[in-house]
Amino acid sequence: MYVVRTSELRRVFVTGAGWRRRGTELVALDGVSLAIEAGEVHGLLGPNGAGKTTLVKILSTVLLPTSGRAEVCGRDVTTDTREVRRKIGIVFGGDRGLYLRLTARQNLEYWSALYRLTGPEGRRRAAALLERVGLAERADSRVETLSRGMRQRLHLARGLIGDPQVLFLDEPTVGLDPVAALEFRRLVRELQQEGRTILLTTHDMEEAESLCERVALIDRGRLLGIETPRALSGWIAAYERVDVAAAPPDVLDRVAALPGVGRVERRPDGGARIETVAEGAVSEVLRLLVGAGITALGVTRPSLEEVYLHLMGGHGMTV
Amino acid sequence: MTRPLRAAMRAQLLMSLRDPGDLFPLVLVPFYTVIFLAIMRSAGRSDLLGSAVLAPVLLNLWYMALVVAGDLVARDRFFQTIELLVATPTPYAVVGVGRVLATTLLSLVAFVEAWLVARFGFDYAIQVHHSVLFAVTLTLTAVATVGTAVVMAAVFVVGRTPRMLQNSLSYPIYVLGGVLTPVSLLPWWLQAPARLLYLSWAADLLRDCLQAAPPRDVGVRLLVIAGLGIASLAIGLLLTSRVIDRLRRRGALGLT
Repeated sequence: MYVVRTSELRRVFVTGAGWRRRGTELVALDGVSLAIEAGEVHGLLGPNGAGKTTLVKILSTVLLPTSGRAEVCGRDVTTDTREVRRKIGIVFGGDRGLYLRLTARQNLEYWSALYRLTGPEGRRRAAALLERVGLAERADSRVETLSRGMRQRLHLARGLIGDPQVLFLDEPTVGLDPVAALEFRRLVRELQQEGRTILLTTHDMEEAESLCERVALIDRGRLLGIETPRALSGWIAAYERVDVAAAPPDVLDRVAALPGVGRVERRPDGGARIETVAEGAVSEVLRLLVGAGITALGVTRPSLEEVYLHLMGGHGMTV
Repeated sequence: MTRPLRAAMRAQLLMSLRDPGDLFPLVLVPFYTVIFLAIMRSAGRSDLLGSAVLAPVLLNLWYMALVVAGDLVARDRFFQTIELLVATPTPYAVVGVGRVLATTLLSLVAFVEAWLVARFGFDYAIQVHHSVLFAVTLTLTAVATVGTAVVMAAVFVVGRTPRMLQNSLSYPIYVLGGVLTPVSLLPWWLQAPARLLYLSWAADLLRDCLQAAPPRDVGVRLLVIAGLGIASLAIGLLLTSRVIDRLRRRGALGLT
């Protein structure tokens, strides 16, 4: 059963429009069709400006699509907004969405009222959530005195106050230190075990790998495909690069002949960049280079964006 | 719907009480009271001392509606709480009304301040001859202020230069609202637009409550204040809902 479903979803923003100017059209989402099953943690992975947040905003009813259709729990997000809003929770990354001058408890009790909980129920759930996210001891501290990690956990509690079936997490760990991010991910796993459906946007491959069952790759508003995190991780491992400061031409010829080496780009200064296209190929390259006495080298992994470009160019992934 | 309304009121009261910026207009009230009372006393018009106490209260009521309440939607956009508020099952307009109501109630503290300044600074105890009518009028005035502030909050979001609009709506309304000078003393061509403002009716009736003579046409005057208040509240609710829909359509709800 699909809990979130979009069909040919498109959103165009018009910027710079005035009385006499038509403005420039920016396509933020371009025909995105997606289906997320009940209880699934689904990642939405892409670089900044890919359209991830736009998709989350449409699904959470705060932005209208230009065309196409989107449903949450079988309800249309543009026509049945009130019903959709009863079933969803949203958590944004960063400092957005909390009242800094209120305490953590006051924030949650306020939001509980907006989710139509009764007073006693709101107070009970706020206390339980503060306990759950490890903020019970700081419940009566003003939000402005909380650390970034604590605020983010409070954000999660706020997103859960309405007991949502579907939770949208929009880059929830952005700006968190590694320890706080790990703690946040542990909480997300707990929510997954409770059977909630979660849509997580991120540009962090590691985060997607540790939390998601499937990941949708999105770039420039287009859905490039949907894969398991393991497959994506394999691709990133495959597309590694070795930069050497200087290497004799014959050594570079031997490297180019190795299986799994995609390209050897020679520079005029005698250096080169070697790109691999198969997992494990980089260790063979390093063995050969070190064996030839070349030790001034470095290995880098490509960004997701670069992997996308590779995939778009040659891998033949569904586009 | 009353629980979200009450929760929004409570949250706004707590936030305003902790925000010096929101409370600053209340700091100015004693100064205005001193100025108005000093002018009346030096002019030998002890009959107008009551008006001098009332004027800073009404002035503050309008100022807080204009600056604090009128800014609420813009602030929700700036602090990016608006998207989360809109995504709850409670209509945003309800949240807005609750918060504006809290600001308006807070602005009535000015009455206590003005009374204290008159009592202990000028040894003048304001006498309300028609206290029930005074309380009813003040309540209706607060309701009408809420309605007007909700309209302004929605308009300021759409306007390209809200700050300029806010500034330009203060002193003209003080004059047209008759907060210190009764509208009947204004030039004839200003009296007609002044009568479209609930504040001018409210100010006159509140001043009349300080006189020993029974106020005339009480029913009609109360109806006008209530009618203008309810009309502005209805317009404000409709406008807020339209503005939110427009921002959702344009993708400009949050400022990111």
